[in-house]
Amino acid sequence: MSDIGYVRAADQGSALALVAEDPDAVFLAGGTTELDLALKDQVVHPSRFVDIGRLPLRGVTRDGDRLRVAALTTMEELAADPTVRDRLPFVREALLLGASTQLRNMATIGGNLLQRTRCRYFRDPEVGACNKREPGSGCAAIKGVARMHAILGAGPTCIALHASDLCVPLVAMDAEVELLDADGTRTVPLTQFYRTPGDRPDVENVLRHGELVTHVQVPLLPAGARSGYLKVRDRTSYEFATTSAGAAITVEDGTITWARLGLGGVGTVPWRAWEAESVLVGAPANERTFRAAAEAAIRDPFTVPGTAFKVELAKRTIVRILRTVTS
Amino acid sequence: MTATLAKENVIGRPIDRIDGRRKVAGAAPYPSDFDLPGQVHAALISSTVAAGRITRIDRSRAEAAPGVLTVLTHDNAPALVDPPQNALGSTMRRPLRDDRILHYGQHIGIVVANTRAEALAAAKLVEIEYAEEDPVLDLDDPRAAVEDNPFGMASSRGDVPAALAAADVTVDGTYTIGAEANSPMGLFTTVASWQGGRLVVHDTTQAPSFLRIALSVMFEVPEENVRVLIPFLGGGFGAGLRLWSHTVLTTLAARVLDRPVKLVLSRPQMFHSVGHRAASRQRVQLGADRDGRLTALDHDAIAANGMGDNLPSPIVAVTPATYACANVATHERRAHLNIPYTGFMRAPGAVEAHFAIESALDELADQTGVDPVELRLRNYAEVHPESGKPWSSKALRECLEVGAQRFGWAGRDPAPRSTHDGDQLVGQGMAGASFEFYALPCTVRLAVDRRGNATVRTAGTDIGTGTYTITAQITAELLGIDVENVRVVIGDTDQPPAPQSGGSGLAGALAAAIQNAAGELAEQLARLDGRPGESFASLLDRHGLDELAVTGYSDLAGAATHSDVAPAGAFAAAYAEVGVDEELGVVRVRRLVSVIDGGRVFNAKTARSQAIGGAVMGIGMALLEELAYDPNSGRVANGTFGDYLVPVNLDVPDLDITFVGEPDTFNPTGGKGLGEIGIVSIAPAIANAVHHATGRRIRDLPITLDKML
Ligand SMILES: Cc1cc2nc3c(=O)[nH]c(=O)nc-3n(C[C@H](O)[C@H](O)[C@H](O)COP(=O)(O)OP(=O)(O)OC[C@H]3O[C@@H](n4cnc5c(N)ncnc54)[C@H](O)[C@@H]3O)c2cc1C
Ligand code: SF4
Repeated sequence: MSDIGYVRAADQGSALALVAEDPDAVFLAGGTTELDLALKDQVVHPSRFVDIGRLPLRGVTRDGDRLRVAALTTMEELAADPTVRDRLPFVREALLLGASTQLRNMATIGGNLLQRTRCRYFRDPEVGACNKREPGSGCAAIKGVARMHAILGAGPTCIALHASDLCVPLVAMDAEVELLDADGTRTVPLTQFYRTPGDRPDVENVLRHGELVTHVQVPLLPAGARSGYLKVRDRTSYEFATTSAGAAITVEDGTITWARLGLGGVGTVPWRAWEAESVLVGAPANERTFRAAAEAAIRDPFTVPGTAFKVELAKRTIVRILRTVTS
Repeated sequence: MTATLAKENVIGRPIDRIDGRRKVAGAAPYPSDFDLPGQVHAALISSTVAAGRITRIDRSRAEAAPGVLTVLTHDNAPALVDPPQNALGSTMRRPLRDDRILHYGQHIGIVVANTRAEALAAAKLVEIEYAEEDPVLDLDDPRAAVEDNPFGMASSRGDVPAALAAADVTVDGTYTIGAEANSPMGLFTTVASWQGGRLVVHDTTQAPSFLRIALSVMFEVPEENVRVLIPFLGGGFGAGLRLWSHTVLTTLAARVLDRPVKLVLSRPQMFHSVGHRAASRQRVQLGADRDGRLTALDHDAIAANGMGDNLPSPIVAVTPATYACANVATHERRAHLNIPYTGFMRAPGAVEAHFAIESALDELADQTGVDPVELRLRNYAEVHPESGKPWSSKALRECLEVGAQRFGWAGRDPAPRSTHDGDQLVGQGMAGASFEFYALPCTVRLAVDRRGNATVRTAGTDIGTGTYTITAQITAELLGIDVENVRVVIGDTDQPPAPQSGGSGLAGALAAAIQNAAGELAEQLARLDGRPGESFASLLDRHGLDELAVTGYSDLAGAATHSDVAPAGAFAAAYAEVGVDEELGVVRVRRLVSVIDGGRVFNAKTARSQAIGGAVMGIGMALLEELAYDPNSGRVANGTFGDYLVPVNLDVPDLDITFVGEPDTFNPTGGKGLGEIGIVSIAPAIANAVHHATGRRIRDLPITLDKML
């Protein structure tokens, strides 16, 4: 039987020290990802949970045209924030279309960024071949049942999806993550925070062991911009995205002058559709532009039979959200 | 009968469940709530391959682990006797019989320890090696052993090939349905204890009387020394109808240790341990004249079955009785696959058959231009099409007509793709349903006492459908007392044997048995010279009797063989409106009208709940639910509620549910079972609505968005 220790960190300093001193210790925030993996599925084996849930890292502050969200703010709290409602509506939409009310009241923003993939092969300890769990062991999903898997940033080593909804508008908005460890703080753009699987599917981001996410900074939408988040799925609620898209656009006299596009349900990391944005900016806001942007966004997908339909679905999802936010 | 017996209008009243308060207060003991003194805990060892043989088992590390009391595998466990046949057919291969592996997740051993955590941890320490074989997982796999006509249900009337050749219009469609998991909320549990030579088992079963027989045979103890208890069951939908290996293994462990042993399945284990609706493929060929009158119906079905299993679960059984058609042929096959054992899931067979037939009829309506409702009325079976006898009751016509009216069918533009609403194409579809009559013998013990109370006892259980409540209502009405004065003791095989809660057969059989008992009681009371208007309480009092008890019995199926009417099951019609976002493939049900003829309804509220449950499950079947097997390992690849999708509230529109019809003339209480009928016509109505919305006929369930792109 594996015993897992539990400590509640009294303050930030001891939280950092408690994790840093033990290579197998992990932070525990809302626990909605971590407890499933460690206790129910038993696919991760931490030596101890360092509960950061009561650290004073909660709340949203506005700093000019940026929002600074403390990492332990819950998904529900962020969705209810008035600035988010008015100036980042697609962040609110993405939050409220995620999980369930009960989960959103537990789940934190820091934890949402760091949630692990839903790949069932990853989450079932009886499956031997999973490069993310056991580097070099292979990937059972590629030849298996893969529907809720990625087509962008994916490759023969791993096709696991980063399933966050929230991260889609966040990468689109160039959010930044503030990190803290004994050596001090650093700030990393969210678009550079994640790593595609490559030859190390087990390494998902640039976070060092013991480093704490303290805040997420999100620039507000520029005046006049409109945004929207579209989540496509079979079940009306309480399901991860099959595909999703978060778009923010400014249109002047029928021409797109500013555009941001993030994609969900398709990437091994929260996907920023840079190429699509270049197609959009300067182009007329019409169906042809939208379709061209969609084509540019989904280039060179890596598909398996179960995910092949996502190529066209993702494009249509993009077209639909662009149509919606510009209409 | 004394004049006071019989009270009007208790049966049918929408009273709250008499066990409802206990349930919401957490005071109703479900199997997992039972803990016995000295009890220890079990965990299962499951195969991690789908086919082959076990070549080596090393238990030593597990046996040495903390708290472990025993580890039983095929090479060290005491031998058991094979389980017997029962009214639901043969049970599966007994567990631990040999070294063969027939499916992934097969229970190949059991570990018992002082705590559940210790047992679970030790189960992982058992080292097993396999000689693995390539599993056969797909209905279409040419290696699959296929049996022809396994249930003897193939049938033929008239000359189908000739009628098809001569038909003005023909339809030929192939319909596939993915495997589905019953997914009851309550985790299946066994708590087994041997008390001397007597076995007491708390088990999640819908068939306590059958389980008792099976355990008595397997463990070679007299039936009267086996007691199965299941007073409350957290849902079954058919999952509790078979004998499952975890029950046997837990009972075996308790015997070996001579201590009570408890096992609670995990949610992932539920997906491969308690059966599922088998994947199936059906071909329906229809022949008709230009007015849509059926001249030929050919129905061919193949469904999956476990290796070494022979579950009697025919699909085509209902077909010959659905519509008036002179030429009907049915064919059935089953393919043995390395999949977890299949089981019964709500309206097994009937719901698959109706998806195919009712979809094909919609295609016929399309081709002939006859309105789909009118088409069904034109082919209405006024008498039982096989026997020619009049139905004991049949209000399918009312189901169709009332449904059409409530839904507003008359205003429907028959052309596909004719209605838009924003990004959605809107479509309306309908389907009818005929359910088979089914009943097994049932016995009850009915006692009345001088305080005016009655007690009904039977082994059958309440799987959440309302058996407690309707038993009390029926008894109260027949005895002329209040529902509050009826005590219902069920789910205990020390009580008289009863059929399983399944096949929509318990309510009717039980009601008839109670009526039989009430009649017997009335006779006995009459012999006590009751005065007009005298209550049985006062009568007993006058005679110094504490209690009067009688046994009641029903055998409706037996009576059916020499009846001059054809006993009918329930009938239904469903009308669905869907919105299809064609660009994104998403299908949502906007409206659903369900009209049911269940004969005399014993409780309007619990009956309605059954119809709601059936409709929700039908939405799941139509749009969401499919068990996926990993094509390489045969492992259930979506065995969690995060991955196997059942409908959530937002998937379910307001449901319009109506009951129509008259008391059945065959069942003495007028009732027909209605636990399953509510699902039967839902999936075809939705698929037909999808066709009306988009012009696209999806013959493959569930209709997930990728199929619509
Ligand atoms: C049933 C279900 C449905 C869901 N549906 C959705 C959905 O539709 N959309 C969606 O976006 N998400 C969904 N989620 C995911 C959910 O949003 C995440 O589980 C949640 O946000 C994680 O937050 P937490 O606080 O619970 O993290 P925890 O579980 O506590 O932690 C998650 C990981 O992050 C680490 N961590 C947490 N906080 C910090 C920090 N401040 N610094 C460093 N490391 C940290 C932990 O060590 C752990 O590795 C769903 C989850 C469940 C269980
Ligand atoms: S997709 Fe990635 S996480 Fe899933 S099995 Fe393959 S390697 Fe593991």
